[in-house]
Amino acid sequence: MATYQEFIQQNEDRDGVRFSWNVWPSSRIEATRMVVPLGCLFTPLKERPDLPPIQYDPVLCTRPTCRAILNPFCQVDYRAKVWACNFCFQRNPFPPQYAAISDQHQPAEIIPQFSTLEYTITRATCHPPVYLIVLDTCMDEEDLQAVKESLQMSLSLLPPNALIGLITYGKMVQVHELGCEGCSKSYVFRGTKDLTAKQIQDMLGLQKGGTTQQQRGPQQQQQQQLPSNRFLQPVHKCDMNLTDLLGELQRDPWPVAQGKRPLRSTGVALSIAVGLLECTFPNTGARIMLFAGGPCTQGPGMVVDEELKNPIRKHLDIEKDNVKFMKKAMKHYEMLANRSAKNGHVVDIYSCALDQTGLHEMKFCPRYTGGHMVMGDSFNTSLFKQTFQRVFSKDAKGEFKMAFGATVEVKTSRELKVSGAIGPCVSLGVKGPCVSDTEMGLGGTSQWKMCGLYPNTTLALFFEVVSQHNAPIPQGGRGYLQFITQYQHSSGQRRVRVTTLARNWADASTNIQHIAAGFDQEAAAVLMARTAVFRAETDDGPDVLRWLDRMLIRLCQKFGDYHKDDPNSFRFSENFSLYPQFMFHLRRSQFLQVFNNSPDETSYYRHMLNVEDLTQSLIMIQPILYAYSFNGTPEPVLLDTSSIQPDRILLMDTFFQIVLYHGETIAQWRRQGYHEQPEYENFKQLLNAPVDDAQEILQTRFPMPRYIDTEHDGSQSRFLLSRVNPSQTHNNMYGWGQDGGAAVLTDDVSLQVFMEHLKKLAVSSSS
Amino acid sequence: NEKNLLPPEGLEVVKPRLNNEFKKVNCQPDVFRCTLTAIPQTSSLLNKARLPLGILIHPFKDLSNAVEQLPVIQSSVIVRCRSCRTYINPFVFFVDSRRWKCNLCYRVNELPDEFAYDPVTKTYGEPQRRPEIKSSTIEFIAPSDYMLRPPQPAVYLFLLDVSFNAVETGYLNIFCNMLMEELDKLPGDSRTQIGFIAYDRALHFFNLAEGLSQPQMLTVSDIDDIFLPCPDNLLVNLQESKELVLDLLGQIPVLFEDNLETGSALGSALQAAHKLVGPVGGRVTIMQTVLPTAGPGALQSREDASLRMGKNVTNLGPATDFYKKLALECSAQQVAVDLFMLNGQYTDIATISCVSKYSGGSVYHFPLFHAAKNPALTEKYEADLRRYLTRKIGFEAVMRIRCTKGLSIHTFHGNFFVRSTDLLSLPNVNPDAGFGMQMSIEDSLVDTNTVCFQAALLYTSSKGERRIRVHTLCLPVTNQLSDIYAGADQQAIIGLLAKMGVDRSVTSSLPDAREAMINAAMDSLASFGNTIPPAQRIGSLPICFTLRMLPTFILALLKSKAFRVGMNTPLDDRVFAMQQCKSLPVGQLIKTLYPDLYPIHGIQSFDTEKKGDIVVPKPPRLHLSSANIDRTGVYLLDALDSIYLYVGSAAPQDFIQEVLDAPNFTSIPDGMIDLPELENEKSELVRNFITDLLDNRPGGACFYVIRDDSKRRLQFFEHMVEDRSESSMSLYEFLQHLQKQIKS
Ligand SMILES: [Zn+2]
Ligand SMILES: [Zn+2]
Repeated sequence: MATYQEFIQQNEDRDGVRFSWNVWPSSRIEATRMVVPLGCLFTPLKERPDLPPIQYDPVLCTRPTCRAILNPFCQVDYRAKVWACNFCFQRNPFPPQYAAISDQHQPAEIIPQFSTLEYTITRATCHPPVYLIVLDTCMDEEDLQAVKESLQMSLSLLPPNALIGLITYGKMVQVHELGCEGCSKSYVFRGTKDLTAKQIQDMLGLQKGGTTQQQRGPQQQQQQQLPSNRFLQPVHKCDMNLTDLLGELQRDPWPVAQGKRPLRSTGVALSIAVGLLECTFPNTGARIMLFAGGPCTQGPGMVVDEELKNPIRKHLDIEKDNVKFMKKAMKHYEMLANRSAKNGHVVDIYSCALDQTGLHEMKFCPRYTGGHMVMGDSFNTSLFKQTFQRVFSKDAKGEFKMAFGATVEVKTSRELKVSGAIGPCVSLGVKGPCVSDTEMGLGGTSQWKMCGLYPNTTLALFFEVVSQHNAPIPQGGRGYLQFITQYQHSSGQRRVRVTTLARNWADASTNIQHIAAGFDQEAAAVLMARTAVFRAETDDGPDVLRWLDRMLIRLCQKFGDYHKDDPNSFRFSENFSLYPQFMFHLRRSQFLQVFNNSPDETSYYRHMLNVEDLTQSLIMIQPILYAYSFNGTPEPVLLDTSSIQPDRILLMDTFFQIVLYHGETIAQWRRQGYHEQPEYENFKQLLNAPVDDAQEILQTRFPMPRYIDTEHDGSQSRFLLSRVNPSQTHNNMYGWGQDGGAAVLTDDVSLQVFMEHLKKLAVSSSS
Repeated sequence: NEKNLLPPEGLEVVKPRLNNEFKKVNCQPDVFRCTLTAIPQTSSLLNKARLPLGILIHPFKDLSNAVEQLPVIQSSVIVRCRSCRTYINPFVFFVDSRRWKCNLCYRVNELPDEFAYDPVTKTYGEPQRRPEIKSSTIEFIAPSDYMLRPPQPAVYLFLLDVSFNAVETGYLNIFCNMLMEELDKLPGDSRTQIGFIAYDRALHFFNLAEGLSQPQMLTVSDIDDIFLPCPDNLLVNLQESKELVLDLLGQIPVLFEDNLETGSALGSALQAAHKLVGPVGGRVTIMQTVLPTAGPGALQSREDASLRMGKNVTNLGPATDFYKKLALECSAQQVAVDLFMLNGQYTDIATISCVSKYSGGSVYHFPLFHAAKNPALTEKYEADLRRYLTRKIGFEAVMRIRCTKGLSIHTFHGNFFVRSTDLLSLPNVNPDAGFGMQMSIEDSLVDTNTVCFQAALLYTSSKGERRIRVHTLCLPVTNQLSDIYAGADQQAIIGLLAKMGVDRSVTSSLPDAREAMINAAMDSLASFGNTIPPAQRIGSLPICFTLRMLPTFILALLKSKAFRVGMNTPLDDRVFAMQQCKSLPVGQLIKTLYPDLYPIHGIQSFDTEKKGDIVVPKPPRLHLSSANIDRTGVYLLDALDSIYLYVGSAAPQDFIQEVLDAPNFTSIPDGMIDLPELENEKSELVRNFITDLLDNRPGGACFYVIRDDSKRRLQFFEHMVEDRSESSMSLYEFLQHLQKQIKS
């Protein structure tokens, strides 16, 4: 049999799923004692170019409360043309078109290798997606020019039949009509007044009474365009017009007094965008793309007032509850996020400014809708330009890597229930037999809505074992899960992707080693990270570290190998060995240590962790460090101060930043220009190697990371120094167990110290 | 009553009996006149005469074609009385070469040295050579101390109704084409600004910033709380943005051609206009076709068509003070609002017109306007609009009326806001606006032979000059009732009575107003009768020669659209007619009440007058009685807004052929609104005559050819006010009625 590592890899490749536990404890009580919850990271649209095209509808279990989809784990009776559901054991006849099946002639859905299969629902036709640009015009000339150019460029990347619309805002909000000849037209709204969808609809003239139309007779009525068409036009019809419109677009004309911020109506602009789509294209794939060059300073959703002397809130202000606008603004944006999500519309935020723009308040919009959140200093940077271009990137088949309007449904076999999801989704509130009473993340439902999703988009799903302690391991010894993802493919097709999973049950009281062997420390680390951030966002901010520590200590106690009260005896098996290190770095990461960042940055970092797949998330938690030197090929090295050497170049990838660090000697040589001399060609090559590798990452990742080129003693070297394990500092000033056994690890300890204390606490008989 | 009271050349205008000196320089009666050209010495004498006392003024009348040119002087000193601020005028008394005595308050003032210098001839001499002393109408270019701020530029904002109904009438095309044609002739200079707001249920603004490749339309639907969508470029410099303006005017009819929106947010449009123009001041022009139904100032129909025939008429006053308040706000910021009503149905002119009434604006009315269905009215609209766009305009104006001590002005008529007792605020002044003032005699005028009235109009010309136009009228004082009658100005009297009647109708009731008019006729006749020894009275009414048309005019007034009863009169038409009574200069007002009727079948037999190269015939005037209409004749009736060519059923064949280009009576096309240009003397003379009539009025007139057997026949005969009709007395009956009342 293959190793667990191979098994895990295979499963991930095939199903896009990584479980924290690959062997499941068979009783509820044992499951809760595993410390790390039973959960998985599920990437619904993981790129699978090898999937066979299936052009028919899936076959469903006929039991009304089940409706699971036929899958390779079902028992099939070829002679009787009957299949037994592996979730409810219902025997179902095959539909007539399956008459010809036999064990030599199997439909794809029951072939074991197709535990994940995608159906294209051919009879459903989808509307082409809608793109609604919401553009801030209170920017300096250069930024506005840059974003205008990016938008103009994007028109050529969009599918020609996609609909596009434009809203601009500053002190006022303007909804532009597209395709007007000779005279540009727009509707102007006050930026201080929130409007209901109905009011917006009325004011945009989107609902016309039938009476006036009758006066003109049916002929003219037919010529009349659909009202929404005035604002949302097919790209192929209006690209020239929109290009001109963008070209002519000026900075917000309202004067800004000395010492004031420009009046910026982001809250109302977004509200109008949401309202416009709500009444014109409900339940159709659509994305609102917000480009914000600064904070909202008036009306609903304002995050800071007009006076420059009043700075925008910091973490400290939030902690002290010294925030005037934050809560009201959050309420506004969360309400908009919910409305958007309800209608299946995505909200992307591109925030480019030197100061904060209110991502902290607006984060709900991308979070609930699966929108992008991009943060940069300026629109006139390659970071923004490249990132934006990548939104429209295509896969090998030439199809957009974006999907709309997905629902993810989870079906469980009887011993299990689903307790929640954490990711870019909202609950659909569908109760049912599979739904657990205990909630993790967004719970109380077996279905979630993901308005926007991409090949990397990953949900964390959590499960609860519900079998009683003395219940026998079910027949066949396996538990089943089925994930049914229905979505609108970028081609406009309606598709259903079905993933069915089976894992062995084990009795933890007798076979704990089997369960331990199935532990996936990477998946567990990412699941814990998502959970920790979710907790930090929802209720107990500072207590999260305490909780993480407690969980780690308990895991060590449960699965470590040690003699009581002898820290030196502590051993962890190989598939647990990296986990404490992940936790060490997670504790130190920007996800949980917020005070060095602005609330906007924190929101941005957390957003990405909430969306990305396992590999990317791990990089975020524990950055990767490569070393380049004359001694052999580039190699991964420890994320540790000991890796910093004078004759090395280090390349650190934190997901958000790519840091190139030149050791002292290398930096000296570089300054002296050796690489420009032909005889030092090899030095030149050494310098170039990490740059080339960095370029590769920069050119593929979304959003494009910030690129930092620094050296020994360079001011930007702090980006590296803040992330490496401080093994060579001399900080031993910390106390243990001072507050009654609850372990608190201070923040600046090295991994070694951390581990020592962890071992001490794990083996301690008192804790 | 066969006597022809009307001289063939039209009614004479009484001239005040003054010494020759004063007579020569006195103000022209078409600019400034008084109901009595001899002022009673005491109020008791005035009471005995039982005639109304008041002045009528047409202060900004076009004087470009006047016989005597308007003297315009630029001088560092403007000589005024130090006590009452009267401008020095031809009627002052020079005590000696250094001092003059004010003719209004009698204060003796010093004469500045420079006054001996004649700015016209540029020589020194007697003060009498000064234009101020030689002309009773004069214009000063004011020095800077007459300005509170730099003179404003000409600012024109057009508010265009673009609702479904507006588009349906077809006015937009006409308006836009006309404005494109006349754009270069808008009065102004390099600073002139222009802007447009189109509105239906929403407001559509236009950004016309210089440098844009095309106009930008900005729609604001939040009409309950209106705001300007951008801080500038909604009003733009006409020179700089001319291309865009022309581009926009070309597009507006197309932009809204499929508009299905029926609502009209006039109130919001006006609020926006006030915000837009307020900071500078200027002129707002509204083109409105429907009742405003949306947003602030929305109105409901108040007309019950079934009550149009009734004796009493309600809803003559405004339904809300919204438009008046807005007008006062506009007035305070030197903004005037002009109103063009192009409505088919009731639009509540009584309420909406307040916006013009109190801001010094003008009101036009084109009932049943439709570009295709009503071509005669369309032509009038075009002519009126052309005149409107190109006529002279004065901005940020005030007019002060002063009069000799002892007299007191108490009630003002016209479109303005009374800022203080004798000061009228006129954000705009236009050459077609007339005003009236009622007067009383407070103190005995026994110490003076003459009294004077002075109207001073301070305004900013479209070229940005601050100017003062001063009119001074001098009248003799008398203690003789007979002099008063001999000097009574029956046209001015009817003008003033009409204005008073409008006020009475609104504040009291229409029947009350009518009764007051009849009483006025009766009183004047009765009191004049008392002045004649009984022996000289023989049967018929004792009518004084100068007042011989007064009963006829009063009858005409009673039968006019404004005051008639028992005839189907749409409320808006009536209210507009009342508005005309208040603001038309007297000559034009009389023409609407008692139109000019000419027999023109004998067009070649009349005297002619050469005007330039054109020979204009002078047919005699006829009384408005169907007794004067013969079936063998052709008649022209000029009622100011309309001109009718009535063709009798047995009209001369040659006339029909040579003028109307039809072989016989029955082949004259029905609904003809134009005369063919035929090359024969008859045709030319008729056309010259009509052209001349049209040239002598501001704006245009609807022209109709009416065949005796046409359905439109009534429109012509309606004007025969001396006839009897179902609901009204003939002149004969009216006079009998008066006589009976006097005797009893
Ligand atoms: Zn089933
Ligand atoms: Zn005086």
